[in-house]
Amino acid sequence: MNLTQGFKMAAKSLLANKVRSVLTMLGIIIGIAAVMSLVSVVQGFTNVQKEYYERMGTNRVNVYAYSYMSGGGDYSDEIAAYCETLSEYALGVSPNTQIWVDGVRYGTANTRNNSQLGSPPIYLGNEQFAVCNAFTLAEGRDLSYTDVKSYNQVVVIGAKLKEYLFSFKDAIGETITIGSVKFTVVGVYEPKDTSENEWYSYDYMCVIPQSMSRILNSNQPISQYVIKAKSSENTKIIIDLMTQYLERIIDTNTGSFYVYSDQQWIDETEAQYKIYSLVGGGIAGISLLVGGIGIMNIMLVTVRERTHEIGIRKAIGGARRSILAQFLIEAAVVCGTGGIIGIIVGFLGTVVAGKLILKTLLLPSAVMTIFAAAFSVFLGLIFGMYPAVKASGLQPVDALRAD
Amino acid sequence: MGLIELSQGFKIYNEGYENEVRALNGVSLSIDRGEFVSIIGTSGSGKSTMMNILGCLDVLTHGEYVLDGENVTDMRDGRLSRIRNREVGFVFQGFNLIESLTAYENVELPLVYQGVSARLRREMAESALERVGIMERADHHPSELSGGQQQRVAIARAISTNPPIIMADEPTGALDSKTGDRVLELMHGLHGTGSTIILITHNNELAETASRIVRISDGQIVEDRRRVPA
Ligand SMILES: Nc1ncnc2c1ncn2[C@@H]1O[C@H](COP(=O)(O)OP(=O)(O)OP(=O)(O)O)[C@@H](O)[C@H]1O
Ligand SMILES: [Mg+2]
Repeated sequence: MNLTQGFKMAAKSLLANKVRSVLTMLGIIIGIAAVMSLVSVVQGFTNVQKEYYERMGTNRVNVYAYSYMSGGGDYSDEIAAYCETLSEYALGVSPNTQIWVDGVRYGTANTRNNSQLGSPPIYLGNEQFAVCNAFTLAEGRDLSYTDVKSYNQVVVIGAKLKEYLFSFKDAIGETITIGSVKFTVVGVYEPKDTSENEWYSYDYMCVIPQSMSRILNSNQPISQYVIKAKSSENTKIIIDLMTQYLERIIDTNTGSFYVYSDQQWIDETEAQYKIYSLVGGGIAGISLLVGGIGIMNIMLVTVRERTHEIGIRKAIGGARRSILAQFLIEAAVVCGTGGIIGIIVGFLGTVVAGKLILKTLLLPSAVMTIFAAAFSVFLGLIFGMYPAVKASGLQPVDALRAD
Repeated sequence: MGLIELSQGFKIYNEGYENEVRALNGVSLSIDRGEFVSIIGTSGSGKSTMMNILGCLDVLTHGEYVLDGENVTDMRDGRLSRIRNREVGFVFQGFNLIESLTAYENVELPLVYQGVSARLRREMAESALERVGIMERADHHPSELSGGQQQRVAIARAISTNPPIIMADEPTGALDSKTGDRVLELMHGLHGTGSTIILITHNNELAETASRIVRISDGQIVEDRRRVPA
């Protein structure tokens, strides 16, 4: 008996038992679809996170420094001054504190009216905010040193916010209301955030002079800063030097600080997502295993049902390996078909989950798809093997007697 | 030395227990190439058991079976399945057709296992179906056939490979006397072309057409008679 015959026999027997074949496939389909979508979504999360940081530029050092002492606690001047001495390693430093206001308005356009947008992020920054966060100006001018020193009520806005408030009108020189305070728009940044997830998009932000904390943030001390290093090696030097400096000026009994780079943050979240990946993959793997055991069970029932047939086949000259081959092919075809359907469902599941959860077009990787296909056929062979061995080892007469 | 050499053959079920059954109780039988042997005996006497052993479908509990000079007891699966496939055409007492296959496909199956090409398979299977006069039912499944028709398909399957030995366990049991005579005629025809025929039957009249008659009772041979050709 050759392979083509084996496939014909397998196809015939699968079609003769459609319900059994479909039930068998179901386990594999669910298992593979679950593995693919789960792993893809976790991978997608990781990538979105990564892209987000990449858009903010590389070699960023984040500094948190604050004190619980009433009245004091703003280290802006000290940190700015100290960073002057780090000019060998750093390109710039800026406050990076986000504050919340009750909407941004221009004429009749009000971000409050957009349920998705609500209040866009407002950043307290200085003339180096753009360089630190990798923004480039599309039009107008950036914040200046004077704006900060002279408490100028000026603002640079993100590209999407400009579009939202002004549509096609010119924004430069216009006055917008942030919270309840009027600001003159002096510049607009180039867009960079391609995510559809609007609420955290940087393209909707306003950057205002840090000194505006006085009127917009009840003069709360600024506690977050960002330093742009010249290279990744310099990132490490800056972290060390800045940590040493803050240790000297901040009494840890009344205040606290920490210094870390984006890279550390990325590494940490990646490690975390790896754990999610393992757990999710494990759960999905178990469902795949359960599916496989279901197949084995059904195959065993099949053997009992077909023991008589196997007896006949042996009696008229079917060799052990022919019968073994027929069962293996049957199992492989069931699992392979289940695998292909599982991959299709997994693809759809990934795309739908990507749209719903991450709001991007998410696709499973080619490696994983191939792995899923190979694994399903492998499962079929493993689980098809045992019943086939059992069936093919019988004496013809013993098999014929079973009825 | 004969084609079939069974010596001191025992087939014992549940040996050593109180429900022990000796289906074969020390049987010795020698059959030469080209003989036409009929085996007779009452129900439960051990005819089918012996036939299954001769056809390599079952193994002896004790004793020795040598087929064509080869000891069957020591044979591996590959050799055994070759013998079942090429040397022996077996007609079962209960037809034993595969339900999911058509009559034609059932008859074709031994040829598939033999590795015969598709075209030659068609030729040989159709010739076998024609010889038993069931060609017009070739595309029917066993469940769509009468008992006698199923029996004829089973016979067609046994002769489709033109095996040198044909073993038939009650091949005329489900047939009317006319069709039964036709099957017997077919057997004699095959015998005439040199095949060795072993036939189990309850019908004394049929048995008497053979050149040798073996009677079994309680798992033992009680009579072994050669008939002088008329
Ligand atoms: N698996 C088994 N376990 C126990 N006893 C068995 C088994 N198979 C057959 N026997 C017994 O062996 C004896 C011989 O059976 P066998 O089938 O050879 O009879 P037979 O001569 O072919 O009868 P019949 O003419 O009715 O077909 C019977 O008594 C039967 O009960
Ligand atoms: Mg019998």
